[in-house]
Amino acid sequence: MSTLAPAPEALTILIAEDSATDLLLLSTIVRRQGHRVLTASNGEEAVEVFARERPQLVLMDALMPVMDGFGAARWIKQLAGEELVPIIFLTSLRESAALAECLDAGGDDFLPKPYNPLILAAKINAMDRLRRLQATVLQQRDQIARHHDYLLHEQRVAKAVFDKVAHSGCINAAPNIRYLQSPYALFNGDLLLAAYTPSGDMHVLLGDFTGHGLPAAVGAMPLAEVFYGMSAKGYGLVQILREMNAKLKRILPVDMFCCATLLCLSTQRRVVEVWNGGMPDGYVHDIASGKRTPLQSRHLPLGVLSAQAFDDRTEVWPMALGDRVFLLSDGVLDTADANDQLFGAVRLHQVFAANRDPDRLFEDIEKALAAFRGEARDDVSMVEITLQPGQSLRATGPLYADSGQSCPLDWAVSFEFRAETLKRYNPLPYLLQLLLEIHGLREQSGALYSVMAELYSNALEHGVLGLDSRLKRNAQGFAEYYRQRNERLAQLNSGFVRVHVQVVPTEAGGKMSLRLEDSGPGFDVEQVLARPLDIDRLSGRGLSLVRQLSSEVRWSDGGRSVCVEFCWGALA
Amino acid sequence: MAEIHMDLDVLSGLQEVMEGEYPKLLDTFLDDSQKRIEALRQARDDAKALGRIAHSFKGSSGNLGAVRLAQLCQRLEVESVEAVADLGALVDQIDDEFALVKPMYESERQRFQI
Amino acid sequence: MSVESEVSLDGKKLTIAIKGRFDFGSHQTFRDAYERYYKVPELYVVDLKETTYMDSSALGMLLLLRDHAGGEEAQVQVINSNSDVRKILAISNFDKLFDIN
Repeated sequence: MSTLAPAPEALTILIAEDSATDLLLLSTIVRRQGHRVLTASNGEEAVEVFARERPQLVLMDALMPVMDGFGAARWIKQLAGEELVPIIFLTSLRESAALAECLDAGGDDFLPKPYNPLILAAKINAMDRLRRLQATVLQQRDQIARHHDYLLHEQRVAKAVFDKVAHSGCINAAPNIRYLQSPYALFNGDLLLAAYTPSGDMHVLLGDFTGHGLPAAVGAMPLAEVFYGMSAKGYGLVQILREMNAKLKRILPVDMFCCATLLCLSTQRRVVEVWNGGMPDGYVHDIASGKRTPLQSRHLPLGVLSAQAFDDRTEVWPMALGDRVFLLSDGVLDTADANDQLFGAVRLHQVFAANRDPDRLFEDIEKALAAFRGEARDDVSMVEITLQPGQSLRATGPLYADSGQSCPLDWAVSFEFRAETLKRYNPLPYLLQLLLEIHGLREQSGALYSVMAELYSNALEHGVLGLDSRLKRNAQGFAEYYRQRNERLAQLNSGFVRVHVQVVPTEAGGKMSLRLEDSGPGFDVEQVLARPLDIDRLSGRGLSLVRQLSSEVRWSDGGRSVCVEFCWGALA
Repeated sequence: MAEIHMDLDVLSGLQEVMEGEYPKLLDTFLDDSQKRIEALRQARDDAKALGRIAHSFKGSSGNLGAVRLAQLCQRLEVESVEAVADLGALVDQIDDEFALVKPMYESERQRFQI
Repeated sequence: MSVESEVSLDGKKLTIAIKGRFDFGSHQTFRDAYERYYKVPELYVVDLKETTYMDSSALGMLLLLRDHAGGEEAQVQVINSNSDVRKILAISNFDKLFDIN
């Protein structure tokens, strides 16, 4: 029959028909269209043949002995599973109820008797198109599933590496830090790092990279390296910020950046230094008065500005023992309820106000979020650090495995840092590294660093810049003090701080003398030392600390010069 | 109703489709139909069985162009569902109709001496 | 979400209006809006009047526009932001990079 369109592909077609005449007729028609024909003369036989041969299409008589067409169709559809095996019912049934039953049983189409070969051919082709479409869908679905498994594997590996990096610091070891971080932090771009400095201060970073998934996480590794490395060496927040910003600016694409809050908490100095670029407000909680001071975002996020444009100005707030600093990621404020209302800062402040037990603040917030949203949220990060007394000064770990014999024992060096350098360079990390070359001093590295930092800051701030430490008696005074400090430092064009180091061997082991000189007017040493050692006063702690930590402290040259000594015993 | 006992147009269509298999189809139909006639006689009082057989017979006779025969089977199929009808008369009619068309198909078969 | 762009008659100002959600899915459409002009305008204006939502990817896209427009020398205005959008821009201090009103 030249008018029959040839089938695009030869199929295997099962024909189940109990009338021998009709079966012969159909088989011939279908074979002539180029397909391979299987036959069955009752429902049970049809199911058997299907299970064995797996034809692609079935022509089924509705009424057959043993098992009728409907029963057989149901079986065949079940055996076919996900694949589409079109079933065309052969029927001279006229009632719509019976036709409806055909469809319910899994029939995909009808062919009325008497058979019209043209219509049969057209229906076979149409059904085959559907069959091939379904096959394509399944194939693509399987491909997607495989791809997805592969991606999950990659992410698991990335997460393992990230967890190692993120937990390198002291976030788990420090007893005064409490945090909540989502297990999906890696994929939200959330970063929480904490590290001690050599003097026992604590640096904390809560960060939020733009975007989600692995791209967000990629920036976290280099940032963490800078944070840990520089904190351990004793660099201050300003240098660490500059370095982190420069690194991210260099490596991240233009549209990626990292919002971050960076803190330095000092138990010794009873202050917290803060830089917030793009994160929600943090809070300093004064336990005695209950007041919470917001730490607001005043800067652009890291990785946006060039080094020249970057603003590294930090804020300094006083803290008493027991006070807490609380930081949170935007996951808290962005929690939405069923009507897309956001939790927001107002509700957070309500939780603060209602909170009776500071130790339960996390739970109160989590409960409030869950109640608001209707379910728990899994991408919230919070951290709380308490200023606690008695934190031991850290010693740096052993840097070399040698016997301690091969270190410089008899030498002296002097530095003079002048105005331009004082403005932008912090010499302390370098000096510390230098002094740690003396193996005997390593055990005391914490004390050494604290003393150096204190003496240097006195020399710079009180000596060269002429600031009055008595300003630092309350929060406003603090803010004013640091404002003046930044202003005077920016305008500085003369002055110096000199550092002299002298190392000599002694009978017992060795002795290091550290002398600092500044170009300032000096001060009445007797008078200041005579002041009561009021350790709750915000200022004045420095000198008592220096005296505590070193072997000897001597002032000379009208207060412009101070000398401390550190001794150590011979190493075994 | 138009009394077509053997529709020649249908047969010529079948001949085109079946080609070499056409004689075999006629043989199968004659053989098959004979069996159905006997089955109908056997199932005299069983309305359900009569309905089933009539349905099947209707199909094949329709396909082969035995229009009147198909129509009679249709009636039997429908009436077998109603309890009252006298199905015996219909069965006789079907019997008679087949007796009529059987030689017609046989002579059609004779045209192909294989 | 749709982006409509309009160039002023003298070709010196390109206004890009964001309607709907300004988020990760808008990336390509937003870039097309300014990349297809071979004449570089002097001033870019991003109109957020009909922007219903903005997230950090949108901030990233603004940075891309600024970079395309000349980086530190770029003149990019962000206008008609509603209070939610302004909040997001404020907390990230983007008013230091863009002229926002």
